[in-house]
Amino acid sequence: MSKQGVNPDELSQPFWDGANDNKLMIQNCITCNKLQHPPEAECRDCENGELEWKEMSGKGKIYNYVVVYDCPVRTLQEDQPFNVAVVMLDEDPGIQMYSHLPGVPADEVPVGADVEVIFEKLPNGQHVPEWKLTN
Amino acid sequence: MTKRILISLDIDGTLEVGDPPGDLTMEMVRIAKSKGFIIGTCSDRPLSTQRKILTQHDIEIEFAVSKHMLPDVKEQFEADVYCHIGDRDDLDRQYAIKADFDFMWPDEAAAHHWFHK
Amino acid sequence: MATQNAPQSMYRSEEGLGIWEHRGKVAAVGIGHSPTERRWDGHRDTSVGALSILALRKAMEDAGVTPDQVDGLVITPVTTTGAFWPEEDPLPWDVIKSYNQTDDPLDGIAKLSAEWLLKNMPELTNVKYTQYGPTCMSNALNVASQAVGDGLTNVCLVLKAWHNLPGRYYQSGPNAHDTIQGTPAIRTLWGAPACSGTALQFAEYCRKYGKTHDMMAPFMINSRRNGLMMPEGYWYQHRPEELTAEDYEYARWIAKPANLFDNDIPIMMAGAYLFTTAERAKDMKQKPVYILNHASSEAIPRSLTPTLDEVEAETASTARKIYEGAGITAADLSFENMYDGFPQFHQFHIEGLGYRGIKFGEALDFYQTDISIEGPNPVSPSGGNIGAGRSRVWLHTDSIQQIQGRAGARAVTGVKPEIAVSGGPMPLGGNYTVWSATPD
Repeated sequence: MSKQGVNPDELSQPFWDGANDNKLMIQNCITCNKLQHPPEAECRDCENGELEWKEMSGKGKIYNYVVVYDCPVRTLQEDQPFNVAVVMLDEDPGIQMYSHLPGVPADEVPVGADVEVIFEKLPNGQHVPEWKLTN
Repeated sequence: MTKRILISLDIDGTLEVGDPPGDLTMEMVRIAKSKGFIIGTCSDRPLSTQRKILTQHDIEIEFAVSKHMLPDVKEQFEADVYCHIGDRDDLDRQYAIKADFDFMWPDEAAAHHWFHK
Repeated sequence: MATQNAPQSMYRSEEGLGIWEHRGKVAAVGIGHSPTERRWDGHRDTSVGALSILALRKAMEDAGVTPDQVDGLVITPVTTTGAFWPEEDPLPWDVIKSYNQTDDPLDGIAKLSAEWLLKNMPELTNVKYTQYGPTCMSNALNVASQAVGDGLTNVCLVLKAWHNLPGRYYQSGPNAHDTIQGTPAIRTLWGAPACSGTALQFAEYCRKYGKTHDMMAPFMINSRRNGLMMPEGYWYQHRPEELTAEDYEYARWIAKPANLFDNDIPIMMAGAYLFTTAERAKDMKQKPVYILNHASSEAIPRSLTPTLDEVEAETASTARKIYEGAGITAADLSFENMYDGFPQFHQFHIEGLGYRGIKFGEALDFYQTDISIEGPNPVSPSGGNIGAGRSRVWLHTDSIQQIQGRAGARAVTGVKPEIAVSGGPMPLGGNYTVWSATPD
């Protein structure tokens, strides 16, 4: 899949740095002990908690998916149709991540199946978490 | 032996009655039809509207389909040449290429001998 | 001081607030619409500013109010349909300079301030109160209702306008770049189109309740039919095309299970209303339509996209707020005009409302029954965005017109139009108004 490159910004830097080290890092509020994703400047619940980054196991389940036939992102248009799945993390099913599910044909997505994280290299050298079916 | 030619026409930006109007006039379509070509429409307009538009101009079409249905057209009709004419790279040329159709832009088509006596 | 967004306190976003303190004391009277266009043609008289002025003047005329009697203006300053002025494109100075400008040259072209309107509508000599209710008409209505009820304005114009520029929806900007910023990339890197979030919820809905995409067809056909009877709408004005079940079934996918017709068409237009007190409304030209309540949903999903559980919990909560503040129940609704752009979440709204007693998972079966304007269970009589183009205005216009007896060919005939609810947009994050033929 011809994804765009990513330039990490201040808020998301630990997420992307983790991906470059083959680690799935998710933001966590120390006060609430609650994960949140995408990252934010403060905890969504207590709003004043100290935030940290926690490494996840990299295991999850396919919660849902669509098949994209008319993609707004230029670099991905040649790859249509393709899956965009929503993965829920085993540590906290409330935390979702998107995936193209490499290797899974379009519209043949096994909802509920176990998946594990892999790290895909983007055109600018940055790595991104992706997900593959667990054997 | 005469080649059997199938022409798939986009509407908006392609036909003169499209929104926006395109280079291909309805008279040109009638001429192609009179030559025995298999003529149909392939547009984002509702199928029922595609049929109505051509009927309003007294042109009987063999098919009216959505953009992703060009492979079905190929399966349904036997021809030596399959050509889609449209004004968009993403919604016409790309779909034509995927369906193994030849492709022409509206201005190219308007100048092509298929559409002239 | 420049006009500000309405404070949070003006929105009724919590359950347990009781009957709205201004229930039946605020009324909508006048309606004004500009013509619709698919995209801006670059001319002065079709700019979003020009369309807005036209709609506002029509609303005053419709209500029989002279401009000097207006003392309030509530608008949504955001006018984009997803189209932003391209950075590399020169500004349309000929159009910009033909109006009285504010500090922002794109004001009146690709956004709209209350200050720009007042500079270009010199007849509005007595406007003392201006406020923003971003980003939909639904927000602005809530703010205007509260402002009139609170006595901040007595005769208030409410406006929402849309600009649309050449080019495909959301295909410019970062989506056309080779690299993107890290935080937005967490959502956008996978290339899901705008309809994907709703399509995901719809997919889960179908799996959970055993429904299928084709069951949406009666709703789509009904919406387009109703929209083609709305003279203010895009499809009526430009392309009076019906939709059939075959048309819907064979449309190409955008993000399966959402196809082309599961997306509304972005357009340019402006819609305006004139709000006033119930007392003042008695002297105006049109029959007052009383506001029994306004309510808001401010929920946000836990993570990237709302789950069906989150959607259902929130639409149920929204319904409780709507009914509680208005002092009504679902049985009091003559019809519903909940938002439909995307149509695949309309069923979430009406299931949350319990419209005609339907429960979660039952709306698509309900769509297979008589949902026409002639029947006892009218669904989206305005035709919504699907029937008239993306304005997020038709639902309110229709509610007012139905109750005033001015809906023309679209008039509901299977029920007496007495109480209706309209609003949206999203199941998580929307604003709603309850309209009534009587103040009590």
